[in-house]
Amino acid sequence: MKGKKQKNRHVYWNPYFGGFLLGLLIIATFYLTGRGLGASGAVKSTVVTMVHTVAPTHAENNAYYSKFIKEDESPMNNWLVFEAIGVLLGAFLSGALTGRLKLKVQHSPKISGRRRLIFALMGGLLFGLGAQIARGCTSGAALSGMAVLSVGGFITMLSIFGTGFLVAYFFRKNWI
Amino acid sequence: MQEEIFISGRNIPNIDPVLQVWHFPISLYLFLGGMAAGIIFFASLFTIMRKEKDFPTTVKGAMIVAVIAISIGLMALMYDLTHMFYAWQLYTTIRLESPMSWGAWVLLIVSILSFLWVFSYSTEIFPKWDWKFDWLKKFQAYLIKNRRTMAMVMLPLAVILGIYTGILLSAFNARPLWNNPILGPLFLTSGLSTGAAAIILFSKNHFEKHLLTQIDLALIILELGLIIHLLMGMAAGSAVQIEAMQVLVNGEFTVMFFVFVVILGLIFPATLEGAELMGFKVPSVIPALLILMGGLIFRMVMVEAGQITRYLY
Repeated sequence: MKGKKQKNRHVYWNPYFGGFLLGLLIIATFYLTGRGLGASGAVKSTVVTMVHTVAPTHAENNAYYSKFIKEDESPMNNWLVFEAIGVLLGAFLSGALTGRLKLKVQHSPKISGRRRLIFALMGGLLFGLGAQIARGCTSGAALSGMAVLSVGGFITMLSIFGTGFLVAYFFRKNWI
Repeated sequence: MQEEIFISGRNIPNIDPVLQVWHFPISLYLFLGGMAAGIIFFASLFTIMRKEKDFPTTVKGAMIVAVIAISIGLMALMYDLTHMFYAWQLYTTIRLESPMSWGAWVLLIVSILSFLWVFSYSTEIFPKWDWKFDWLKKFQAYLIKNRRTMAMVMLPLAVILGIYTGILLSAFNARPLWNNPILGPLFLTSGLSTGAAAIILFSKNHFEKHLLTQIDLALIILELGLIIHLLMGMAAGSAVQIEAMQVLVNGEFTVMFFVFVVILGLIFPATLEGAELMGFKVPSVIPALLILMGGLIFRMVMVEAGQITRYLY
């Protein structure tokens, strides 16, 4: 166990350094695209496109979906979708360069991989729902919002991490 | 909806102002034909160099892929024809000035030769298979003896087949995006690169994979150069060509072309292949599949985009 930890030590970069790079990335994004970045937007576009393909009438009548459907333009024609493709490519490349290209579920040794996946799915569902109610996720609302000193961005950031801090107590057994 | 009113009598449906005759089957055929040409090129080359022992997948498994690809490609081509049963008339004449005549004949010879090629290796690929008849076995032995001769015929024919997939389009003098001489070499390069990718996909031999990855990387760099050449050549052309180029650079097919062909189909797999050659562990399936996907989308973009470019009037 200890040996494995030792081995994995240098695989990941320091999270603070990663955060610093993320900040630089936001500056670059604002400079290049004239707007912030986001993560949940690509998922939203994909969902809207799928619903619109399977059940067009429902999507057009639905108050939420109809906002993103335009007559002659696919919701996939959105820079966040291409950003998400880029994220996948970059992640794959970085995995290849650090020798981490393996199919595996990372989890605490005290829980099973299955439990980890179920909780991840539940968390993802809640987060997706929350992100749409808040009109943005950690990157789209909090990060990009705070970068332009939007009050909404600060509130989103405080709410996401504050709530996380508060409820972490109940779910800590999944990690420690 | 866009409507155009003709007052001149130029009312030719499906041809003027926009060609609407070639669709996905043609793109599929051009892709499969190019890929097969690439595989046949490498198989013949390595056989002529007497290196077939070092490249087992190229001369055996991948050639089966080539034969299947040619067959599916021909079926797609036939499916697209309005008068399917007149296709044999292509073989009543040889017209050196017609790319389609070149293509028809080369395709015929190449597909027969590659069938025979796979037949000559059949006992080696499937050791338990028995060609019941004596004359078949004798014929096979004859083919095995003459494999190098076959390779010498197939090598130039594979090059012609690869170029023909592009020249077929550039022979359309009324479609400015197609009507340029770079398309032949560009499609040949792309065909060779997708052929190499197909071999990498199936190969289990480390040396074979490594060398073909090197070749493929070089071909991708060449292909990117040719694409730049194509765009710059058009940009330096007449108003017609500049307008035609807009379809790829700033128009309907820009996202398809730059995101899915140039980045996802060429630059990114080239980066992965480069990383692989530098010793990083990359599953070679990923770049190979991306290159194949990029090759197919490239054909689709060129076929669809070329048809909407036109002379201005």
